[in-house]
Amino acid sequence: MTEAVVLLDSVDKTFGGGTAAQVQALSDINLSIGQNEFVSLIGPSGCGKSTLLRVIGDLITPSAGQAKVNGKSAAQARLDRDYGMVFQAATLYDWRTVAKNVQLPLELMKYPKEKKEQRTREMLALVELSDFARHYPWQLSGGMQQRVAIARALAFQPSILLMDEPFGALDEMTRERLNLELLDIWRKTKTTVVFVTHSITEAVFLSTRVVVMSARPGRITQDIPIDLPQPRSVETRENVRFFELEMQVREALRQSERRPESVEGRQPQ
Amino acid sequence: MSERSQRIVAPVLILVVFLLAWEGMVTALKIEQFLLPKPTAILSNLVQVVRVDAADSTVLADREVAALLRANRLVVDLPAAVSPELLVPAEEGLIAEFRQGSRRVLLTRGGNLTPILQASWYTLKEALGGLAMGATAGILVALATARWTATREALLPFAIAANSMPIIAFAPILNNWFGIDNPFSKMAIVAVMVFFPLMINTVRGLTSAPPRSLELMRSYAASEFAILFKARIPNALPYLFSGLKVAGALAMIGAIVGEYFGGPRIALGVFITQEASLFRFASAWAAILMACAMGISLYLLIILAERLAMPWHSSFRE
Repeated sequence: MTEAVVLLDSVDKTFGGGTAAQVQALSDINLSIGQNEFVSLIGPSGCGKSTLLRVIGDLITPSAGQAKVNGKSAAQARLDRDYGMVFQAATLYDWRTVAKNVQLPLELMKYPKEKKEQRTREMLALVELSDFARHYPWQLSGGMQQRVAIARALAFQPSILLMDEPFGALDEMTRERLNLELLDIWRKTKTTVVFVTHSITEAVFLSTRVVVMSARPGRITQDIPIDLPQPRSVETRENVRFFELEMQVREALRQSERRPESVEGRQPQ
Repeated sequence: MSERSQRIVAPVLILVVFLLAWEGMVTALKIEQFLLPKPTAILSNLVQVVRVDAADSTVLADREVAALLRANRLVVDLPAAVSPELLVPAEEGLIAEFRQGSRRVLLTRGGNLTPILQASWYTLKEALGGLAMGATAGILVALATARWTATREALLPFAIAANSMPIIAFAPILNNWFGIDNPFSKMAIVAVMVFFPLMINTVRGLTSAPPRSLELMRSYAASEFAILFKARIPNALPYLFSGLKVAGALAMIGAIVGEYFGGPRIALGVFITQEASLFRFASAWAAILMACAMGISLYLLIILAERLAMPWHSSFRE
């Protein structure tokens, strides 16, 4: 592994500190993610996987410990625009066309007009939505909206793509197709991906590593490398090794759930 | 018939049926004109050639008036019983003022269309002026309170208290402050009335941007300014327009009711109270209907502006 892109050192996060409703969302998280890795965070709901993603993206400040990204603080990385974010809901702006939505980060980063339009065309071609540039988000299906969100996140070539259950709200067929598309994009763009999911199949199929978390408080229980051959395809799902790894992740999840429960876990909304 | 034309034809049909029923009911039940004039009487009040004012509130029949005024040779055509005392025209369009028996009769040319239109225009200007002032103030305060939460907590109780006051009760005071004939006295009432719905709606719109869309902006390290203009304000537009629709109706009410407490003779509220106090109910009704027409037009204009400003909004999806 080359120099770590993401480096978490004993990260703790407590919500509502000092009050009766205090909740420890993350406890002693140590994680290192290298260049061009595809890491999935998986765990029961309330295990703090979304919180962890937000700590990496500097949308949440940890209560203790450090988050370093590309060798600097997460805050600096955010200011340097190292992150592309994709949420479970596409979070497109209703008042912007598809092309304008993809352009949003480019506008904020003051790209010159020509470069902005060229990038937009490239990104829409990448997610195969070139014909929909002038459409408004509501005219698109859920899967198409999510592809626009991915195009938007990649438009300014961020070094890290942070994805919070991006396909969680989609049907199984669309989800599988978008999984393949995402892997294709990942290969082409060579970004590092941190991917939150609660689907074991999705985690194993996409990732180079699956990080299993337990709830209350959220901590990392296992770190499972996924040694399936690249590039992955529809056949990967029929690979015997695929089933073995699925079993391994499922077993890890089961073990993590058996841990004694303390305070109620909570995920930020 | 297409769905679109059906949407227009159906309400128009209902309106026509309603007017016919009104006309028929007044005629059939022999309802007195001062209780409820017929729609045709209200309409003819606007367009008739002459207006007849009798101080004892009896009104000359139209054919009598026509006889009086045929070919504008007023004096010649007057019936023998009338002893004409032609006076210097006191108001515009006044043809003659004379006594017929115990009645004092005023003849004016042109019906009430011109005075009502003039009065409507005057009052509309007051309403729009007040709306512009109140809306600007409401939106500016909303922007300030959405940006600085402390301001919101400090100001909101006062805004709510102000909204609970019967603002129209201040009309005589404002008339006193700015002068009864000064349109600004009515604009001030309107401005105070429309301030609250605009402010509260805009605040809600500015602060209700989905948390994810703000997180997205934060992940791009967007400036506060960019977040305001690219996320919060577009998100607030639907709220702002619903505030504006409420405010539009309030503005017309504020201007007219403000005028009930006094104003220049060319104002619509003054016109309505005068005509009603002189038992000229057809012209009072005509002026009221004009006020309604203005209110509806203002509302339609706001809807048009809404469509132009946010064609993407769900309410306009075919």
